[in-house]
Amino acid sequence: MTHRKKRAKSGWSRRDFLRTAGVAAAAIAFPEIIISCGPQSGGTPTAAIPKPRKGASIRLLQWTSFVKPADAEFKRQAAEWGTANGVTVAIETVTGDQLQPKTAAAVEANSGPDIIQMQYGWPQLYADACLDVTNEVNILISKLGKPDPVNEAFCKVNGTWRAIPYTVVPNAWTYRTDYFQQAGVTSFPKTWDELAAAAAKLKTTGKPMSQTDGHAYGDSLTMWNPVLWGFGGKEVNADGKTVAINSKETRDAIRWAQGAVKAGLVVHPEWLDPDNNQAYHADRISGTLNGASIYIREKIEFHKYTDVTNNAPMPSGPKGTFAMNLIFNHAVMKWSPDADTAKAMLLALMEKDQYQKWTMIASGYNAGPFEALHGDPVFKTDPKLTAFEDVVAPGKWPGWPAMPSKKTAQAQTQYIVADMFAKALANGGTGDMEAAIKGAETSLKAIFERP
Amino acid sequence: MGTATRTDAVPVWRRRRARIYDREAPLGYLLLAPTLVVLGIFLLYPFLFGIWLSITDSELGKLGEFIGLGNYRFEWRNTDGVFYTAVVNTFLYTGVTTVFKLGLGLVMALLLNQVIPFRRFVRAALLLPYIIPTVLSYEAWRWMFDPTFSVVNWLLVHTHLAAYPGPNWLGVPANAMAALMIVNIWRGTPFYAISFLAGMQVIPVDLYEAARVDGATRWQQLTNITLPMLRPVLLVVLLLSTILTFADFQGPFVLTNGAPYNSTQLLSIWAYQWGIPGGAIGLGAAISLVLFPLLTIVVAGVLFLLRRPE
Repeated sequence: MTHRKKRAKSGWSRRDFLRTAGVAAAAIAFPEIIISCGPQSGGTPTAAIPKPRKGASIRLLQWTSFVKPADAEFKRQAAEWGTANGVTVAIETVTGDQLQPKTAAAVEANSGPDIIQMQYGWPQLYADACLDVTNEVNILISKLGKPDPVNEAFCKVNGTWRAIPYTVVPNAWTYRTDYFQQAGVTSFPKTWDELAAAAAKLKTTGKPMSQTDGHAYGDSLTMWNPVLWGFGGKEVNADGKTVAINSKETRDAIRWAQGAVKAGLVVHPEWLDPDNNQAYHADRISGTLNGASIYIREKIEFHKYTDVTNNAPMPSGPKGTFAMNLIFNHAVMKWSPDADTAKAMLLALMEKDQYQKWTMIASGYNAGPFEALHGDPVFKTDPKLTAFEDVVAPGKWPGWPAMPSKKTAQAQTQYIVADMFAKALANGGTGDMEAAIKGAETSLKAIFERP
Repeated sequence: MGTATRTDAVPVWRRRRARIYDREAPLGYLLLAPTLVVLGIFLLYPFLFGIWLSITDSELGKLGEFIGLGNYRFEWRNTDGVFYTAVVNTFLYTGVTTVFKLGLGLVMALLLNQVIPFRRFVRAALLLPYIIPTVLSYEAWRWMFDPTFSVVNWLLVHTHLAAYPGPNWLGVPANAMAALMIVNIWRGTPFYAISFLAGMQVIPVDLYEAARVDGATRWQQLTNITLPMLRPVLLVVLLLSTILTFADFQGPFVLTNGAPYNSTQLLSIWAYQWGIPGGAIGLGAAISLVLFPLLTIVVAGVLFLLRRPE
């Protein structure tokens, strides 16, 4: 009461003065706060930039990039930020297939790295272990514009951002122009039917177009989901509950795949993600679907087939052009003792200048997940890289058109779509299509109808 | 008098302690206690926790609600369409590899038990497959089975045993299963061989000498002396190997991870698929425990045979 009386008397208390002065100083130092509070920002009015704590230690776990200099640059930037802010930063990298077991172990133990790279729908799987980063994403939105729909779909769990969009690893076709010319194929196929026809011609060169239909967590999914979607097929309806794989559209997609294999497309159920890279570099195949790493490594490391290598976006099916890319995001884990420091570091690494330094060194292997990061200069450095930029927009996620969820993540990790195609493509494309669809339907129902 | 004075001078607690040390049973339990604590922490607790998880709808990082045998019903009804494939494959994988490991291990041990040049070196070299880090050796096998760069196929083709490009080891269901078994046998046989060799070393030479005097052939010596004397080692090795092969994960995971289209799916990998990447740790635990009763019967049978009087 006394305090109120004092305020009423002067109209300007010491606390009011300090608060106003603080806000004014912050606004001058960090104008983005004001911007993020603006109506066009899409951010919440309370967006506040997290501050690093001097003396803190941050551990970040992520995959080992197929383009090694990109990892080195990421570590350099993180160390530079750490030195500037008095924070010890440790970046740990593991192979892609080791990342999920390590993440799962950390989640189960409720302890581990402060930041973990979340691939695909992991934020849905481990939502309870990921801190709410809505504030930080809103800050990024205010600076960089809208996030890509796929990153948003993966990161946002029940309306709450559980991971900060980090990057897209675009997947496009890498092919040998010399073998294509030799086979009389003048340009890369624009449709799946054209691709089957081209595969038939390339078979005569002894260097077939090849792709995995096995349990490769990247290349198998990025191939067979877009094929399914391109013919109108889907695993589940948009409601995320009704299994819809047993359809005419799925049969159309499988019929196309069987025809392509009979014509000359070679599928390898035994291939894992690095195997098509190795086959290409060893001059065994004329084309394959992959991230940009095949082309980039030819260009900066092997120099054997650089001049006769080109890249092309995904062919279209009767229902349109679809792609699936590898999507990585960063989650700040709930056990982190310095969550604000971790968030501050991630925001700093997503600054446009920093980010594009990194993408430039990644040489086109990565694309930015926000509007302002589109049209990255790296894709202008080499016309052969534009295919990788082109596949970002038509990118979808496993389980599409249903929104990502624990169940879509389970269907993905069980390789149900890839296995369906693999079963139907066995014995040179003469596998039992109906049995393959029935098997996929049973597995999907087990997931989506499970309480 | 002097003695009485010394006894009186010993404190009561020390006298009690001395009594404990003098009695066999309490001392036995006291000495066992550290081992029991270690076993309790590292074996019993995880095992009981696994059972608890299997009867809940737990997810990674989140303990779930009790659902009784729901997870087991889910699998026994083959709801996901893969469970029975995994069960059959697991039995096939364990059965075939155990028979081969047993036979080859015995032959290897018999050979190494003879006086041969560089015997010690050969014995040490035998353990190599066991010493090499598992993942490393499986990665090497993966390369050897790779359809593009397979050294196995290169040999088969160049020795005219197979037409170019040779068999697709990991891409065809039957071949892939055979490949898994070959690698398991390669890795597991030295364990059998070394264990059998150790057992053979303690068989008294007198028995063989007496048998030779009686005119016994080598085969008769093997069947009437070596194998009966080796029985305890043989049963223990068989028991351990069966359990370990049933639960084998690393090799099959690195080599095929269940591909092609779940045809090489084993219970261990299927439990992992649901529990770790799929996050349904309760269901994963149920899959890994589903054969526990059966394994218990196998273990009990072997233990019974071990205890049976000669």
